[in-house]
Amino acid sequence: MYYLLTLAVFGAIYGTLAIGLNIHWGYTGILDFMYIAFVAVGGYVTALLMLPPSQPAFQEFYVLGLNWPFIPAIIVGGLASSLLAFIMGLLSLNRLRSDYFAIVTVAASLVLYTIAGNDTPLVNGWDGISGIPQPFQSVLNLDYNSYQIFFLGLCIVVLIITFLFSERLRRSPFGRSLRSVREDEMVAQGLGKNVFALRLKAFVIGAFFAGVGGSLLVIYVDAFNPSSWTTGETFFLWAALLLGGSANNWGAMLGALIVPVLFGEITRFLPTSLFPSPQIVDAFRYVAIGVLLILTVRFRPQGIIAERRFRVRKSKLKMLEPALAGASAGGGVHITDADFEGDPGTLPDRDAGAPRGEGPTI
Amino acid sequence: MSSNDMSMSQASSTAREQGASAGTATIDATGKTLLDVRGISKSFGGLRAVDDCSFTVTRGTVTGLIGPNGAGKSTAANLITGFIRVDSGNIHFDGKDIAHLPVHQISRRGLIRTFQITRELEHMTVTENLLAAPYDRLNESFWLGMLGLPVVRKQENANLQRALKLLQDFDLYHLRDEYAGNLSGGQRRLLELARVVMTNPKLLLLDEPFAGINPVLASRLSSYIEQLCQEQGITFLIIEHNLAMVERLCSTVVVMALGKRIAEGTMAQLRDNPAVVDAYLGEG
Repeated sequence: MYYLLTLAVFGAIYGTLAIGLNIHWGYTGILDFMYIAFVAVGGYVTALLMLPPSQPAFQEFYVLGLNWPFIPAIIVGGLASSLLAFIMGLLSLNRLRSDYFAIVTVAASLVLYTIAGNDTPLVNGWDGISGIPQPFQSVLNLDYNSYQIFFLGLCIVVLIITFLFSERLRRSPFGRSLRSVREDEMVAQGLGKNVFALRLKAFVIGAFFAGVGGSLLVIYVDAFNPSSWTTGETFFLWAALLLGGSANNWGAMLGALIVPVLFGEITRFLPTSLFPSPQIVDAFRYVAIGVLLILTVRFRPQGIIAERRFRVRKSKLKMLEPALAGASAGGGVHITDADFEGDPGTLPDRDAGAPRGEGPTI
Repeated sequence: MSSNDMSMSQASSTAREQGASAGTATIDATGKTLLDVRGISKSFGGLRAVDDCSFTVTRGTVTGLIGPNGAGKSTAANLITGFIRVDSGNIHFDGKDIAHLPVHQISRRGLIRTFQITRELEHMTVTENLLAAPYDRLNESFWLGMLGLPVVRKQENANLQRALKLLQDFDLYHLRDEYAGNLSGGQRRLLELARVVMTNPKLLLLDEPFAGINPVLASRLSSYIEQLCQEQGITFLIIEHNLAMVERLCSTVVVMALGKRIAEGTMAQLRDNPAVVDAYLGEG
């Protein structure tokens, strides 16, 4: 029971993270391989803001330590990730083609990782930080189990806010412009879109949710050191997004449940007696996710839940019908009710067009 | 010539009008010239793809740009629309020098192009391809869109209505919810044209709009172009190999060969022009 609760918390946090990555890749087509660095930066900043000042006497070294309450801390944590994304984007989104940009992000992620590990006075180096105050606990004074449930609720609230935001973004004209950049940069430019500005904005927005999700993650696991955010973690999230469905927030959440939670956590509970050595489970976890990723990209590039197709709503058509009917004489198309109904099942789905298109491949 | 160009690019519009007679063709004070390309050059390595090429496009006309393969037509199109930077020369559009502006700013001024090989927003529907076309700073702003303000919704509805109307005009209405990536070649051409019309352009630069489409569709497409020119006052610059179509549509035709403009006139005049005949048939 308690373990299920833990899984649910991880599910909610990874769901938030996957949606953030979805804004980068699913909507805008940015190959971002430093996503976990945004998660870490958000997590560190939030933790450092909430922690009491560091006590070098106990071999604890970190900057800040301001005893901030949770809500401003998590917001500033998200903004810190956004700031990093802004700087990264400003430096290289404009100059590099997307695949070269991807290389830069991997490098940046490793640079940050090395700095966090070796510059001990900054975030306590490889030992990591711990003892972060639990949000709202000072007010609520719940016992341990009740607090776990409260924290799950908190994570779900953040997930819902993230989801609603991302859905709204998808439907807005701004989101459509982002998708036009994803589909064809040259066309988008030719239609007056400032591709660089749009990419930069999407990069900053997605990183914000990485930072927020990272804050929750750090608070929950309560022990965060650089080994918790290796580049491999980025690919866990990528696998989650691609498997669940790029550009679909439901898909991103589903992927987050399947990859990091199901594969990453539940496999810990396979009885080790079945295997010759305990490490083999750990190794096979990566192998399994790699295979899953390859199979997804090969056979279902749109993911389990494909991107939602925009359809002109019946009510909209009804509303516009009088104006259109007047014009239809020239076009030779007469709108009837049958046209409105139009059986959606007969239309080829995204996968029908996928081989011709680029599909979500990396 | 080049110093004259320099001074003209810096001068105010009134000075430009006075000095306009120095230009190549029909430049006059009433601003009839919409696009004025002056001495543009572009080299790729040792190859001068476009070499001191000048021509003009008069407002409200359909102008053709023809020439044998490798004449530099497509490069000229890329230079005019900013996809490639000019090495030297000026491009004036609607009285402003656009030669050094980024692509999106040129597009926002109303100079819109199509591509030789059609490019769609494949994983977006036909309707979305049109809705994504018009640039609107307010409508596309992140904050206004996220707040879902009435002004955005109103604009979206107006755009949708216009898009559906255009889809009717281009016989794509029944495909409105289809992914653009699933369309046939001819439908893609139509969609691309509908998409650029959606932007309310001043000048449309069409790069081989008739390539690879059947004669019936080609004829329909040319009717659309005539209609758009006459009814909506859109000026066209068409790069095309199909000379019959060029003759039917274009009042003025510019001929390029080896990166230079070698002749300009109606098709009838050009047929008797030895330089043009030589470019197409001579040399070999």
